[in-house]
Amino acid sequence: MTELPPLKADLALRLRSVRRLRLRSLWQMLLVLFALALLLPLCANGYWIKTLVSAAAIATAVSGSALLYGQLGLVSLCQYALVGVGGWTALRLSHGLHWPFELCVLAAGIAASATGMIAGLPALRMKGLYLALVTLMMAGGYQVLISAMGFPDGGEGWLGRAQGTDRVLMARPALAESDGGYLTYAMLWLAAILGLVEWHKRSKPGRAWALIRRGEAAANAAGVDVLRYQTWAFGLAGFCAGVGGAILAGGVGQLDGRAFGASESVMLFALSVVGGVYHWLGVLLAGLLLRAVPALLTDYGVNGYLATMFFGASLVHALTTAQRGIAGQWLDGIAALSHRLRGSRVTPGVRHD
Amino acid sequence: MTNTLIQRGARAAALLVLLGAAMGASSAFAQNKPNCGLGNGKKATGEPIAIGAVVGKTGPDDFSASAASAAAYFRCVNDNGGINGRPVNYIVADDQWNPETASQVAAKLVRDNKVVAMAGSSSFVECGANAKLYAQEDVMVIAGTGVPRECFFSKNYAPVNTGPRVSATLVGAYAATAYKAKKMVCVIPNIPSLGNWACEGAKGWGKAHGVEVETLAIDPGSADATSVMLQAASKKPEVILLNVPKGIMVPMLAAAEQQGLNKKIHFVSTTPGYNSDVPKAIGPAWNNAFDLHLEFLPVESAGPDNSNWKAVMNAYADKDAPRDSFAQGGYLAARIVTDTLLKLDPKKLDRASVSAALRKVSGFKSDMLCKPFYVGNGARHNGNSSGPIAQVSGNGFKQIAACETAQEPELDDIRADEKKLGL
Amino acid sequence: MLELLPFLISGLGVGSVYALSGVGLVVLYRASGVLNFAFGALGALGAYVAWTVLDAGLPMWAAWLASVATAMGLSLLYGWFIAPLLAERDSTIRSIGTLGLALVLMGFTEWYWGSSPRRLILPTDAIGIDLADVRLTGTRIISLVVALAMMAAIALLLARTRIGLKMRALANDRGLSAVLGVYVLRVDTVAWLLSGAFAGVSGLLLANIVRLQATLLTFLVIPAFAAAILGRLHSLPATVVAGLVIGVLEATAILLPGFAPFRTAVPFLLALLAIILFPNTQRLA
Repeated sequence: MTELPPLKADLALRLRSVRRLRLRSLWQMLLVLFALALLLPLCANGYWIKTLVSAAAIATAVSGSALLYGQLGLVSLCQYALVGVGGWTALRLSHGLHWPFELCVLAAGIAASATGMIAGLPALRMKGLYLALVTLMMAGGYQVLISAMGFPDGGEGWLGRAQGTDRVLMARPALAESDGGYLTYAMLWLAAILGLVEWHKRSKPGRAWALIRRGEAAANAAGVDVLRYQTWAFGLAGFCAGVGGAILAGGVGQLDGRAFGASESVMLFALSVVGGVYHWLGVLLAGLLLRAVPALLTDYGVNGYLATMFFGASLVHALTTAQRGIAGQWLDGIAALSHRLRGSRVTPGVRHD
Repeated sequence: MTNTLIQRGARAAALLVLLGAAMGASSAFAQNKPNCGLGNGKKATGEPIAIGAVVGKTGPDDFSASAASAAAYFRCVNDNGGINGRPVNYIVADDQWNPETASQVAAKLVRDNKVVAMAGSSSFVECGANAKLYAQEDVMVIAGTGVPRECFFSKNYAPVNTGPRVSATLVGAYAATAYKAKKMVCVIPNIPSLGNWACEGAKGWGKAHGVEVETLAIDPGSADATSVMLQAASKKPEVILLNVPKGIMVPMLAAAEQQGLNKKIHFVSTTPGYNSDVPKAIGPAWNNAFDLHLEFLPVESAGPDNSNWKAVMNAYADKDAPRDSFAQGGYLAARIVTDTLLKLDPKKLDRASVSAALRKVSGFKSDMLCKPFYVGNGARHNGNSSGPIAQVSGNGFKQIAACETAQEPELDDIRADEKKLGL
Repeated sequence: MLELLPFLISGLGVGSVYALSGVGLVVLYRASGVLNFAFGALGALGAYVAWTVLDAGLPMWAAWLASVATAMGLSLLYGWFIAPLLAERDSTIRSIGTLGLALVLMGFTEWYWGSSPRRLILPTDAIGIDLADVRLTGTRIISLVVALAMMAAIALLLARTRIGLKMRALANDRGLSAVLGVYVLRVDTVAWLLSGAFAGVSGLLLANIVRLQATLLTFLVIPAFAAAILGRLHSLPATVVAGLVIGVLEATAILLPGFAPFRTAVPFLLALLAIILFPNTQRLA
């Protein structure tokens, strides 16, 4: 048997070790999320359990936004509007047809995914700033639509609004009736969605996206169907938003049309960038920033608008200096620490032959 | 010698005058001393009783005056013997006008802080978000202000104010009578549970009295108040009834003034316009030309309870805390809860007994209210359905009509409940 | 048809401010490649400063000066200190940076001035022309005139002056322009100052015509974006016309039965329609 020439052997070895590292990081992510799912309901009080449910739902939506920006460099400023679409679908199906909760969540994901793709079709030929503007217009339009329509709350008719009767809360899954149980449930959905996104990143779509990011010309030369993979990314991001919306609806019980303004979508994108779009830890951090930090400030009686100022400043900071977001800074810190602890003389990131 | 006599006389007279002034001042000072709870001047030192409130502070408007006033009252109570020796631990939470946040803070107050009741809540969004939680956990809420329909159709929620529907009915009835109107337009934000509900009372009243009332539901986020005013005016009414928050009422009046509509049509408003910033913001064109319904008696009334409220605010609230009708509502809610708790055994104060006692509240009198307040055992609560009318005058308001009680078909069940309670 | 007339005229008021804002946005974009998300927030802060100046009893010209100076100053500070940090990145990132500025300014304005109702009254509110059931107030006439005048002035500036030439060069290729001897910092300064001036003026006019409320004024930049999109982010006359059309359609839509609750969506619908019907994107990406 002839030996592989040295370069090829080296390559195969590197590929194997890369695959091993990636699988390990995937297991790490799932392990951390499962641990949080089981431990958080036990440590947190009533207020924080409810807040963390919202944070988990928002993090699910952020994963889509982070995917579009991190993998493809596309700025989508309508993610929270798609959360609203998902929430509306889940509520309508739950109140009107009494479907089981999981089916409502999946239907919500599909509805938001379809909306994202249809609405994104005119935008798919555009990049950069124009895409950002178009999605902002869509978020603005959705804001007007949902303020006038409202969310279903147990009533009759297509809109499902209760007129003159009690407003109904969304039915939760049988095993997750209590707030603590629902938090575990929400974290499991978050783990599933993050796993789905990670699987995408590691397989063919991920490679196609990386090529598209390099440049359309390069992607076309490599035989990648740019339109198809871009649409796929939009669809996946919409799915994440829809699932997030359904989980949010189940957590609060009802959604309010006035809470889905264009400004919410803008904040969601801004804090995704601050959290970090290249790693799943950034997604979790963004969810916490969007829901847990305001809750913390409310607890201490700090004016909510000071938080807005802080987030604006963090966004500018994240864009200028910390491009991988808070998650990137933390991971760099952890990597540096672990290397020091191992007493290794190998500097991370530098190639040694 | 005559000089000395005169001098002595003058000195005596001066002394007498000074004494008289001192006595007068001290009695005036005694009148200004607030009277709360047991009124015994002793600080309460027992085990605290947790009472909560949810207010909409950060957002389109600031409703927190209600809880600030209730907080001042509870502080006064704690300085005057507390609830039979036990102080009140009053916890206020801001729901930021977001139902998600409202359900989070309600869970905190009810499950973590274990409040026995809520007093002085004042939020646009929490009634819908939390009604189920309050019913499940049997927490009674004596709210300072309720706005959307859910606040007046909940088993456990009893607002002290009249609400926008009753307010519109009362001011519409007044305007139709005073200005001999045959047609009125009622402007209301197109928010679910408000847009399709709050103008219908005036409509119902109008139907029974030969006055046509048309509802105009507007987008509160719209930037164009002029078109709304033009549209309302195009229906050729004699009266335009604004049933909107003061933040959008002021631009509407500005647009109406710019278009000269204030000279052709009478403008009236529900309670949200009753705020000390409003007369200055809307300007001199509306002097003696803009009427509104008040949910309680005017802020400047001289009645004993109203004066007590002002004394409590002066002694225990921030200098900049608003002294408006929200604050009046908060004070009344706090007083209702305090008076109820004082009648119970301080060692056995739990949620169940407090809720049962609050439901039995009936005939609660105050000169701030047109009629005595009650809670009752009904499926819904609207204990205050009356109010006087005031008018913008200079940089303030003046009362121009006495207390009236609303008459409209939706209040039939409330009237039936009142009859059963013997009110 | 006659019942449309009052709304048509009323729509011209808001429409002219949309047009003015649109021109301010397009000018900065053409000069520096940045779409200023903070345009509304700068205007809002300027309007509140003007209100405070008027409330203190100072004359109207002081209020205008303070307002425009605040907006220009903050715009300049951003352009000098933060924009250069993002100069090498693509257009989208540079624009998202201004989003951070918008959040900071909006949060500050809401926090500092609070939510009591205020009204920004200008002396031109009292005078007006009466036309068919509606009065076109002096303020709205001025907005229309100012929008057209500033558009003409900027168009002249960009087409005929040296600084305009340098601004266009910089927007085209920053590195090459620097090599060719264009003083990048100076030209950037002019661009940000101009944008700030537009923001200050638009903010004042909007605060008067619409409502003095920080969050609303900040997000009124979105219909202005719609006007800019209809102008293809390039043509100033098209942006002005688009702004006026958006304002008029939004006002007259109140008469469409059933559509009235959704009429605030008119700017967005028009922008989306324009994108679908005229998909030539070469200039814009």
